[in-house]
Amino acid sequence: MSDDKHDGIGWHADADDLRAYARGELEAPRLWSVDAHLIACAPCRLALAEAGDPLALDAGWARLDAELDAPRPGVVEALLTRIGVADHTARLLAATPVLRASWLSAVLLVLAMTVASVYTADSPWLFLALASLLPLAGVALSYGPVLDPTYEMALVAPLHGFRLLMIRTVAVLVTSLGLNGLATLALPEYGLRALAWLLPALALTTTGLALTARLGPVLAPALVSGGWVALLVVTRATTHGTLVPFTAAGQGVAAAIAVVAAVSLHRLRDRFDGSPSPSSITDFAHRSAS
Amino acid sequence: MTTHPTVSASGLTLRYGGTAALDDVSFRLHEGVTGLLGPNGAGKTTLLRVLATAVPADRGAFTVLGHDPGTVNGRREVRRRLGYLPQTPGFHADFTAFAFVDYVAILKELTDRAARHREVRRVLEAVDLSDVRGKRIKRLSGGMRQRVALAAALLGDPDLLLLDEPTVGLDPEQRMRFREVIAEAGQGRTVLLSTHQTEDVAMLCRRVIVMAHGRVRFEGTPAELTARAAGRVWSSAERDPQARAGWRTGLGAFRNVGDPPKDAELLEPTLEDGYLLVLDGEPVEVASA
Repeated sequence: MSDDKHDGIGWHADADDLRAYARGELEAPRLWSVDAHLIACAPCRLALAEAGDPLALDAGWARLDAELDAPRPGVVEALLTRIGVADHTARLLAATPVLRASWLSAVLLVLAMTVASVYTADSPWLFLALASLLPLAGVALSYGPVLDPTYEMALVAPLHGFRLLMIRTVAVLVTSLGLNGLATLALPEYGLRALAWLLPALALTTTGLALTARLGPVLAPALVSGGWVALLVVTRATTHGTLVPFTAAGQGVAAAIAVVAAVSLHRLRDRFDGSPSPSSITDFAHRSAS
Repeated sequence: MTTHPTVSASGLTLRYGGTAALDDVSFRLHEGVTGLLGPNGAGKTTLLRVLATAVPADRGAFTVLGHDPGTVNGRREVRRRLGYLPQTPGFHADFTAFAFVDYVAILKELTDRAARHREVRRVLEAVDLSDVRGKRIKRLSGGMRQRVALAAALLGDPDLLLLDEPTVGLDPEQRMRFREVIAEAGQGRTVLLSTHQTEDVAMLCRRVIVMAHGRVRFEGTPAELTARAAGRVWSSAERDPQARAGWRTGLGAFRNVGDPPKDAELLEPTLEDGYLLVLDGEPVEVASA
């Protein structure tokens, strides 16, 4: 609204905008400005009535009513929309179970404790082990039925299951990796070695997801986590110094596993659109409920 | 009644361990409300979950408006035509009623903001919740939450509505209100309403399916189910040992169902009587659709 006319209450909508609005052709975000303005400005509502045909006007009012009902987005949702995320994607992200305060504080607590353990034990291995595992735990909980109260509704929704999984995975990964990164900053004396969790974290997450397509959302991440812990216990018992996964060679293997798992995940994407296998644990709770 | 059924199911079987939750279940659903009656453990929830594509059957098949949910594309088409109210619908309790239904609308692929918000308003109005749309779900009563979940199921005007015991846990007034909403929702679409209350069926349903132990025991109209008990209900001062089932009515006498003695004082049968007789190991006779 470059040539808006101003008066005592602020500005008035441009006549061309009002005509486009009446025809239903005004695009967002200009559309939203005019929507918001029309609520407050009687002269512009009158001008709109003259500018448009009655049918289009009714549609305009219906849209305005719907906007008035629309919930105010939360802080995260508003931020996401501001940086260009589509409003429906932002809503899906805001409903991602693990992006809740309780989960985030649990992750922060675990990281703080493991960072503290680095100072007392003078070795970063516990921090590296847990920081590698936290993103997988977050992704698994955001996809499975454990934390998502609307799991059953989401399961039978036509939105592609893989798309929802990816939206949530990216959100959880960005958050988890960000928190891990912050924790890493508290260990400056280890330099880049303190970042050795990153590739294992990606490898564990992608492997867990790829196996989810076959084994379901509970068994797959549980197996991968168990395997990771077993690997660390064995290597700690048999080697001195840096644990194998955090050596240069281990990092290379982790990167390779992450790539292979990501490729298989993409190949198996249609499986996330299907019904889970009847033997998966998600249905266990329903066995006696029929 | 339309000639083409909305749902056509044949031989649906699903076993959990050694137990058959569904055992060779076949039926057809047409427009209007069909009641799915049965005691706890009869397989009602499992059947609804299979039809909702939440879990696949081990054997057998079904179609919704000709779409086969056994394929990825068919399943998506079925989901696009489906409204599903699970037995215990979950909520994001911090969301307002509007925000929650809006979230489900996004899952149902309504991505255009203005059109989606119009649809959310429409369904909230249909379940009479327009006044509390801005309230957080955790502040709503059980009946209102149930209606929020129904509103979410009504999004996109689905051809098939699956309702799993929606009146459980509601007080009598809420139950009446909910029945009105279901009756309204049943206009021009196919509704399968799982319930263990014959009252729901008597008030709402054009047809009824009775299930027990994973099998269909009866399929027909409520009147046909009632007719099963014609000449097989009688009154006595004490429980008649000959009766298959009996209960003391509010008037003090016993109401017996089964094979009456010769001198019995026969009573007019009700839907409950027919239901009890069908459940009590009667041979399965499926009435034609």
